[in-house]
Amino acid sequence: MNYKTIMCDVLVVGAGGAGCRAAIEASKHNLDVIMLSKELLGKAHTSMAEGGYNVSLGNVDPDDNPETHFKDTIVGGNYLNNQKLAEILVRDASERIFDLEEYGALFDRTPEGKIAQRPFGKQTWRRTAYASDRTGSEIMVTLTEAIRKESVRVFDEVFATKILVEEGRVAGVASIDLKYGDYLIFRAKSVVMATGGAGRIFSVTSNAQLDVGDGYGMAYEAGCELIDMEMVQFHPTGMVKPESAKGRLVTEAVRGEGGILLNNESERFMHRYYPEVMELAGRDQVARSIMTEVLEGRGSPEGGVYLSIGHLPKSIVEFRLESMIEQFEDAGVDIREEPMQVSPTAHHFMGGIKIDEEAGTSIPGLYAAGECTGGVHGGNRLGGNALADTQVFGALAGESAAKFAKKNAHTGINRDAIAAEFEKLEAMLERKEGVSPADAREELTELMWSKVQIFRKEDDMQHAVKELRRIQKEIVPNIKVDVPVKRFNPGWHQAIEFEHMVTTARMVAEAAVMRKGSRGAHYRVDADPNDKGYYNIVIRKGKDGEMELRKEDLVITKITPP
Amino acid sequence: MTKTIKAKVFRYNPDSDNEPYFQDFDVEYEPGMTVLDVLLDIQDKYDSSLAFRWECRGGQCGSCAVKVNTIARIACRTKVDPDEDLLIEPLEKMPVIKDLVVDLAQTTFRLRRIRPYVARDKKPQRPEIIHAEEIEKVREIRKCIECSACLSNCPIVHETWDYPGPMIIRQLARLELDPRDVEDRIAMAMDESLYSCTTCKMCEDICPKKIKIPSLAVELLRAKAVEAGYPLAEGQQGFVDQIVKTGRAVPEKDLPLLKELNTAEFFVENPRGRVAFFTGCLIDYRMQSTGKALIEVLNRNNIDVVVPKEQWCCASPAFRTGDLNTAHAAARRVTEIFEKACEKYDCDTVVVACAGCGKTLREDHRPFIEEERGKPPRYKVYDMAEYLIQVVGKENIIPPKGEIDLKITYHEPCHLGRGQHVFDEPIQLLKMIPGVDYIEDPYKNRCCGAGGGVRAGQRELSQKIATTKKEYIEATGAEMVTTECPFCTIQLNDMMKGTEMQVRYIPDLLAESYRKGDAKT
Repeated sequence: MNYKTIMCDVLVVGAGGAGCRAAIEASKHNLDVIMLSKELLGKAHTSMAEGGYNVSLGNVDPDDNPETHFKDTIVGGNYLNNQKLAEILVRDASERIFDLEEYGALFDRTPEGKIAQRPFGKQTWRRTAYASDRTGSEIMVTLTEAIRKESVRVFDEVFATKILVEEGRVAGVASIDLKYGDYLIFRAKSVVMATGGAGRIFSVTSNAQLDVGDGYGMAYEAGCELIDMEMVQFHPTGMVKPESAKGRLVTEAVRGEGGILLNNESERFMHRYYPEVMELAGRDQVARSIMTEVLEGRGSPEGGVYLSIGHLPKSIVEFRLESMIEQFEDAGVDIREEPMQVSPTAHHFMGGIKIDEEAGTSIPGLYAAGECTGGVHGGNRLGGNALADTQVFGALAGESAAKFAKKNAHTGINRDAIAAEFEKLEAMLERKEGVSPADAREELTELMWSKVQIFRKEDDMQHAVKELRRIQKEIVPNIKVDVPVKRFNPGWHQAIEFEHMVTTARMVAEAAVMRKGSRGAHYRVDADPNDKGYYNIVIRKGKDGEMELRKEDLVITKITPP
Repeated sequence: MTKTIKAKVFRYNPDSDNEPYFQDFDVEYEPGMTVLDVLLDIQDKYDSSLAFRWECRGGQCGSCAVKVNTIARIACRTKVDPDEDLLIEPLEKMPVIKDLVVDLAQTTFRLRRIRPYVARDKKPQRPEIIHAEEIEKVREIRKCIECSACLSNCPIVHETWDYPGPMIIRQLARLELDPRDVEDRIAMAMDESLYSCTTCKMCEDICPKKIKIPSLAVELLRAKAVEAGYPLAEGQQGFVDQIVKTGRAVPEKDLPLLKELNTAEFFVENPRGRVAFFTGCLIDYRMQSTGKALIEVLNRNNIDVVVPKEQWCCASPAFRTGDLNTAHAAARRVTEIFEKACEKYDCDTVVVACAGCGKTLREDHRPFIEEERGKPPRYKVYDMAEYLIQVVGKENIIPPKGEIDLKITYHEPCHLGRGQHVFDEPIQLLKMIPGVDYIEDPYKNRCCGAGGGVRAGQRELSQKIATTKKEYIEATGAEMVTTECPFCTIQLNDMMKGTEMQVRYIPDLLAESYRKGDAKT
């Protein structure tokens, strides 16, 4: 099997908000840094984040401070957060947003010329910094500009498929060059995983096509521990129609700016669920409220509810929600005049690779940051905390990886393991009989959407687990590529991704079965009232190759669960 | 009943195909369908190896730009017309990796070359105080998602990589406008061939973020260059000097129209409307007969025409090249002259038969005057064809009767179509002429290479663009190309020298048909 070797000191896998930030940080340590991007530079899912970045600057509400941000994050996370990590998040969020401004970001301003802040769900103060409703895009554009300034070597459209581990340490990754189909290995002294989430394992999602859980799958196979995988955030407001736009994000900023939710009787139904905070209840709470309305027959004919901003001044809508105007214009709706139709959509993985306060994983030399990690957000992530997470933990992971790379040399490599990986990928091309990735995907995403969803119950999830084990055993080894060419072949890319999707889906479903009570985003209609749920579920691949799950005590520093 | 649409898709795998080919697919149409939906459908149902890029499906990432029916756009925000076949091709100018996926390395390289980040000479204060008004313009221009569609459509990039394309000039403007950036972006823009842009506005038209690159980037940087003391090209400076001196951009040759006409008033019995005619420099000094034809056509349709004799150049050449002192002085003067004329003759409409002048009056004078004195000019500006079709009304136009038995195509002037949103009206007029066999040119809206000071400043480049345009026009098989801009007409005449192709101005052709019709009866 032919492949090419590329060496560096620090390797960053993923080029979204966290990956770029990690690469920038690592490059400041006089090291050779490579960043792999599965897509073109700048096209990562971070650019789709809309609403904002939480940071307790107190620019509009001067009483805000990191302590309050911490408390909101923990309470919002249903106390499942790793409090050490949450402390880092709230501590560093301000310096990291100033970093972004230093690189060239332009957030919207207060009259005094400081960063403006808007209200978001479950937060005590107006805390969410923004650039209209394209905050993620602003951050992604800024990081792209910054990467073009730094010495970071960017390899775009390179798809990492396997983490290489040698002598108990990380050694690099195996990958394919999507453009031409060549096999590459990247060897590094330390590696940062920043591979994002896996919304795409659900049939309705706000996520970009690349969010298929590559990082979760690779980390699991490498022997990493993962945490809180059952905690999937369904964003309450995704688009309902047209069909092709289904699931696309409708930013929380719409509600933050004063948008109201109505059922088909024009009733502002949130007053029956969370009268004190109404539309700005937690994302999990709003999502369940909407689904209850729909299931009880008070939804729109297309199965959503209405989100209205008709009462807001047009100038505010046009300045602060410009992407929403554009997005609904495409669907033939003028949101200044008529309400939007919305329903929940798979949005964010609170769970992921388990990290410590250095952003280190359970494998020496392997670090992780951003959505591919778990622990920061607990059972439910606050809107606006994800962008902050990418910057805070991206920088931290980059720094830690650099320090590790300074102290350690490259490991050796096991060429047999590498050959085996590439032979596996090659075999997909040669297989004549088998299941096509499109069919396999459809089965998986429908299964997850119908059985491991917002309202969960034992039978459904048991069914999902059984099916997923079957898919893993029977379909994964039989995935075939319809047209066996290597040069930019999306069919092949999807075939490779499928294994990561299945591994990720299994972790979600198995952990969900294990958690018998309701907590955060994990809501059971058949909840066991005796399970208060104050623990985390940690997953790893056991020595026998089987998935091992165990409960772990919460990491608590300041706030004890009630 | 389900409707099926045909999609013709560019296919090429350089590893195994000798050359690119097109493959046809039948796709089931669904309301609201986008070009990306079509591609995904093909990939799902017919061929999972069909290569194209996409990520967010929501116009945020800029991955999915392809050429749709000859024009590059992002696929996820381009709606499919159920009544039209689809032609989907990769972006131009960039090597094809496979099918619709191209190698963007040149673009990335060109971006890096301009040091595309905020350069600072000292660490900023934390927090940094930046006021909203300081970043108002940057905010607009910064929405770019680097989809590269504008590069593929740019007539300059089509001819030469000397020009880095709209997206990259935009990045320079974004940095120039950023109060924090310390680099000399003007020098950089000059080095990146800032004056190569013809301001054809194709980039603006297809931009998924509607960024006004020609005005917010190109013309803004040019104005700053002039302010910084960079000289205009000799040819451009000649125009500007002439305007300042005489109110006309070109020197007098034959007797000008305004001197030849012995009255300002061309009135008819029982008029249905009255307009003031803005001749522009070229109709006055070079195309006198066209001017007379226009008056005739309007009169024949029972419109009173006033031709103010003291009228002045709109200063389009100065607006386009960045000499804002000359430009603004002319805008004030033109406004004053036409407001007076409109008051004297009790009308509120100015008709223009030059695309460049019309665009300048509408897009440059109007906002400038409004900003300066709080009120826009007190008259409405119409293009000639637009006025006839929209105001007089197609049903009220006196039909021209003289036959013109020719295959005729149309060149849409950039500053008429994208500049004034006048697209179909000239074609509707053409089709009213008996005998005309109208041939649609799929590339009718491509720049002829004359505008933006390029013909005046960079003749060689201008000719290259014209040669490409000539190929498009000749490919239609027409015997005559018509247009509605004197500047385009001059350029078209030059490019068609030595060929059989006739070039005509639409008012001339209309007048000819009217006169022929008179002779018949």
